[in-house]
Amino acid sequence: MKKGIKDRVAIIGTGVTRFGELWDKDEKALLAEAVHTACGEAHVDLQKQVEAVWVGTQYTSSGIAGGAFTEALKVYGKPVTRCENFCATGMDAVKNAAYAVAAGIHDIVLACGVEKLMDQGSHGLPGLNEIHPLQTGTSMPAIFAPCAVRAFKQWGWSKEDLARVVVKNHHNGAKHPLAHFRKEVSLEVVINAPMISYPLGLYDCCAMSDGAAAVILTTPEIAREMIGPGNYVTIKGIGHSVYSLNPFNDPDFTGLSFPANLRAAKMAYDDAGITNPAKELDFGIVHDCFSINELLSMQDMGICKHGEAADMVRSGGTAIDGAFPVNPDGGLKCFGHPIGATGVRMICELTRQILGRAEGYQVKNARAGFAHNLGGPFTTSMITIVGTPDWEAGG
Amino acid sequence: MTGILSYGIYVPAWRIARETIATAGGIFSAGGERSVAGWDEDSVTMAVEAGFNCIGDMDPGEIDAVYFATVTPPFREKQSSAFIAAALDLKNTARTYDITDTLRSSTQALQAAWNDVKSGTARKVLVVAADCRPAAPRSQEEQFYGDGAAAILLGEGAVIATIDGFATAANALPGVWRRETDRYPSSFDARFNKKCGFLQDVPTAISSLLSAAGLTVGNASKFVISVPDPAGTLEIARLLKLDMATQLEDLLFSQVGLTGSPHCLLLLSRALGKSKEGQYIVCANYGDGCDAVLIKTIAAADTITESGAGIINKKKLVRSYGRFSAIKEAAEPGSLRKQGNPSIVKYWRDQKWGLRRYGMRCNNCGTLQYPISICCLKCGAMDNHVDVRLSRRGKVFSYTHDLLLGPGCTESDGINPCTRAIVDLDDGCRIFIEMTDNVPEEVDIDVPVELSLRLLHEKGDFAVYGWRAKPDK
Repeated sequence: MKKGIKDRVAIIGTGVTRFGELWDKDEKALLAEAVHTACGEAHVDLQKQVEAVWVGTQYTSSGIAGGAFTEALKVYGKPVTRCENFCATGMDAVKNAAYAVAAGIHDIVLACGVEKLMDQGSHGLPGLNEIHPLQTGTSMPAIFAPCAVRAFKQWGWSKEDLARVVVKNHHNGAKHPLAHFRKEVSLEVVINAPMISYPLGLYDCCAMSDGAAAVILTTPEIAREMIGPGNYVTIKGIGHSVYSLNPFNDPDFTGLSFPANLRAAKMAYDDAGITNPAKELDFGIVHDCFSINELLSMQDMGICKHGEAADMVRSGGTAIDGAFPVNPDGGLKCFGHPIGATGVRMICELTRQILGRAEGYQVKNARAGFAHNLGGPFTTSMITIVGTPDWEAGG
Repeated sequence: MTGILSYGIYVPAWRIARETIATAGGIFSAGGERSVAGWDEDSVTMAVEAGFNCIGDMDPGEIDAVYFATVTPPFREKQSSAFIAAALDLKNTARTYDITDTLRSSTQALQAAWNDVKSGTARKVLVVAADCRPAAPRSQEEQFYGDGAAAILLGEGAVIATIDGFATAANALPGVWRRETDRYPSSFDARFNKKCGFLQDVPTAISSLLSAAGLTVGNASKFVISVPDPAGTLEIARLLKLDMATQLEDLLFSQVGLTGSPHCLLLLSRALGKSKEGQYIVCANYGDGCDAVLIKTIAAADTITESGAGIINKKKLVRSYGRFSAIKEAAEPGSLRKQGNPSIVKYWRDQKWGLRRYGMRCNNCGTLQYPISICCLKCGAMDNHVDVRLSRRGKVFSYTHDLLLGPGCTESDGINPCTRAIVDLDDGCRIFIEMTDNVPEEVDIDVPVELSLRLLHEKGDFAVYGWRAKPDK
């Protein structure tokens, strides 16, 4: 009989590096900094206490196989698994680490992720062009842009609606000490920025960025013993769903909603016992790789009805002091998207918000929230719900 | 009866005013416009377009052989007609031939094809000619040349014309040449080429053709005369004492330019469309000597003429010489950016969907889908489908203009967007495809498009052909 993940895994340590164009640091330095920060926060000895490691990197230039971890930390002998699952790469590392704890295989594990995108000298995500000579690939913004075109047609959304997402996230991220971009932007600047892939302009797209993040996971029992109440959170639900690499070939694809999102959200909410996420959760970290995706994905997550996301943003409903804050950290808009690091960083952000440690960008009364990734051409969607140990859905 | 069953032409969407070329180079303007192949077009892709326009809805499986005539084959060693046959979905037992190196290649192909059908070694034979000739910047040729293609289908059945004779006047004149390493054609002197070349060879070949048939110049209703000089055509017509108003087929110089090997077939298609039953057309094609072909019309085929005129009249202007140069430079072999090295094995293995444009219909759930894959994208049924040749036409479901990644997954120049579209084909199949020949303003939800074989990229130092979508208006 399956038990689900709720309250069976605790997060006791988080580590996040500064995100940005970190020309003077390599992936090893970033990963080591994140991992040692997380171990320090958890009061865990990496060599002696961490039993197993999951490390996320999308590109082999940022790390390959288990060596992605050992080459950075020079800690040998542990079972190390490299994860890759598009933009959910980092969160998948956390998921698998959490499953190992919940399964009772390990007591204390490390999940971490890193990406050094800037070293590759590309203006967009590199390496999408070698898959098939006849399916010549596309840029990432060009995958989400046709969805915006459909949403404009279907719901009358506009570039201004997209821009409001960007303005909100920059407002939040300006206060985050680790963000790549720590500045506010105006609606006019966002709307008039150079086009990247119509209708997505420069500010509609998250930046190329470097960074690393890490979390230490254990059982709630060990967490209580090791660092005491008030210093850890528990995982309430995990949902993960993978759909096609070629969604545009599906005659039923609408561009307005993503099946992987719907499925992953249901799994996570069922895990946590949630029936009304907008009411029962306090905030969300939504994958805003492109502004349109924050709108479409928050709808898929059930934060509002389909077609109403732009209105909700316009009325301030997703602002940091709104009814349901979305991306209080500034999101990918302000952090950029070092792929392997992103999902892990989001889990760190959830943890810090819920522990009341998000100084300057703290959501009031944040007791439970979710983090979400949507990777590839809407291929892989993952949601992790985290809350205080005593949080219960509907409570 | 054996004869010409159908014909088709193709002229690229783009034109440039010769004045634009002349102004940029500080040289004279020959007036009018010339056609310009898009950056992702070459003689193979244009031949395929002409082939489609020629065979229409006919079952391509009935074609036993294809001849491809050109002086600009994309490969020095590798047969172009094999690609053309695949893109047109000819059966793999169809014979494929490339006839190259002379502007007479098209009439030579026509004669070879005629011999095939007359001798019974083939039932239906397709002749496709196409050229995309490079010309030196600021040269006269840069203005004179145009890009285009033409196709003729020969065989038994409801013919619109018969071929009643061939004649040739060979001439080992230096004329125009281009060696393996030459970027552009060379010639000694246009006056020499005229006096010792076409002014002699064209009348000789035509006389020989007519006398063998027991005809005189007055018996032919139309003369198609393709020579490398627009004024030369008129001089020949005067030499032959043609009635300029009725007997000389317009050279299409002011609208298209001199397209090379396909040109005489391009003009012939025009003449055929205008002819009435039982008229003679003399088709003279100059290049290293002259071929002359005598054609007698059996039935008029006005509808095809109209579509041919449509192709010639449907145009977009290249507005600057800089843009023209950029297009021409991109069209140079090997010049398309080539980052990456995707497996060429996949190009071969997947040519049924990649070149022949097949999708599959799942036997379990009925979904028509692209590309062909082992399992159905809807229901996952394994190896349980029929392959279906997909429609060329459809409508845009959604789109974007991508300035980050260029066509063929090459780095974008950040200025010229690559339009990518999700297209619902008329048969219900949905594809995600790069667009070509479009300006951004032309594309919107529900805009009709047509699939066109194009040069996708040249990664791995190979010319990879595949499908793009172009506006269909």
